[in-house]
Amino acid sequence: MHRSYLFVPGDAPGMLETIDVFDADAVIIDLEDSVAPNRKDEARALLEAFLTHHKFDHTAMYVRVNAVDETAWFEADIKALQALAIDGIVLPKATPKTLKTLQEVYADQTLPDVIALLETPGVFFQLPEVTAYPFVKGLMLGGEDLRQAIEAQKMPRSEELAMARGLIILAASEASIQAIDTPFTDIKDTKGLQDDAFHAAKLGMHGKACIHPNHVQVVNTVFTPDQKSIEQAERIIAMHEKTQSMRFSLDGFMVDKPVIERAKRTVKRAKQFKGRRV
Amino acid sequence: MKPIVVGTLESSDCMITLKPHDTLEIEIDSPVAAVFGAQIRAAIKAALKKEHLTNVHVLCQDKGALDYAIEARVRAAAARFKEVRDAS
Repeated sequence: MHRSYLFVPGDAPGMLETIDVFDADAVIIDLEDSVAPNRKDEARALLEAFLTHHKFDHTAMYVRVNAVDETAWFEADIKALQALAIDGIVLPKATPKTLKTLQEVYADQTLPDVIALLETPGVFFQLPEVTAYPFVKGLMLGGEDLRQAIEAQKMPRSEELAMARGLIILAASEASIQAIDTPFTDIKDTKGLQDDAFHAAKLGMHGKACIHPNHVQVVNTVFTPDQKSIEQAERIIAMHEKTQSMRFSLDGFMVDKPVIERAKRTVKRAKQFKGRRV
Repeated sequence: MKPIVVGTLESSDCMITLKPHDTLEIEIDSPVAAVFGAQIRAAIKAALKKEHLTNVHVLCQDKGALDYAIEARVRAAAARFKEVRDAS
């Protein structure tokens, strides 16, 4: 499970060479929107050479390929990726149909993990079919494309994406995979980013995409349990273990099974990110 | 045939220009040519060999690119060069 997914353009050597210094849990090297149409082949060649010569122990490496409907680019991307060691593929404009195409193009090779980037209105009515593919390990909200598709205006805490966020969280939870929030697009508005990320985290998102390195630290902080939450969770677990009860009161609040389970999740996440920089 | 241009003049990158030529000729324009010229030349030669391309003039305008980036730019340029050449 990753807190931050940093998008990096696939055609910029200067940016690729610094991807592990920003402390993002995962990096998404982009071959799609950030690469000009006449430079797709350059980016693909650069990605191949870069990942052949660089290994990363502490940063998960994903690649956003071109969308399935850009057939030539998509197939060339997949052909290149099949020879590379990556942690996963981010599939833009994901639908059950495009995921099936991805599976077919990979043919007899084992697919790496796939994050389905959800950015078209129709897919939100097909989420159980999306998560039915066993290689789909995450659902990511593509807020900008979705806003454009539904003709929505950006609101302070992305209220216009509330339903999409909710559906992703429910579908990801049901499938026990990761729910990943859309990036915050105002590069300089740190307070806005913090509010947006807190809001997403409280809704149930597990992590958030970032389009600028300066956003990584804020996102990591928001999606890491704070000390107060950890201590409270540990008290709940200790009380549960001491009393062997699934129902007790603590500090005047009722604690029952869902609260105990949430406390266990908090401690588990805290352990996962212990020692990692925020 | 128009020259093939790949890459950029941004920091850590290089711009590769390929033109048809009777033999293999490599021209390097780099602020670090005195120290790394031979290494850059070797990276270009290795990439061209992988692409089985010999009769070209290569101009490498280097802005501090590492070997992998030079190789990637040259290979992308070579692939595009062959595509255009074979189509004409």
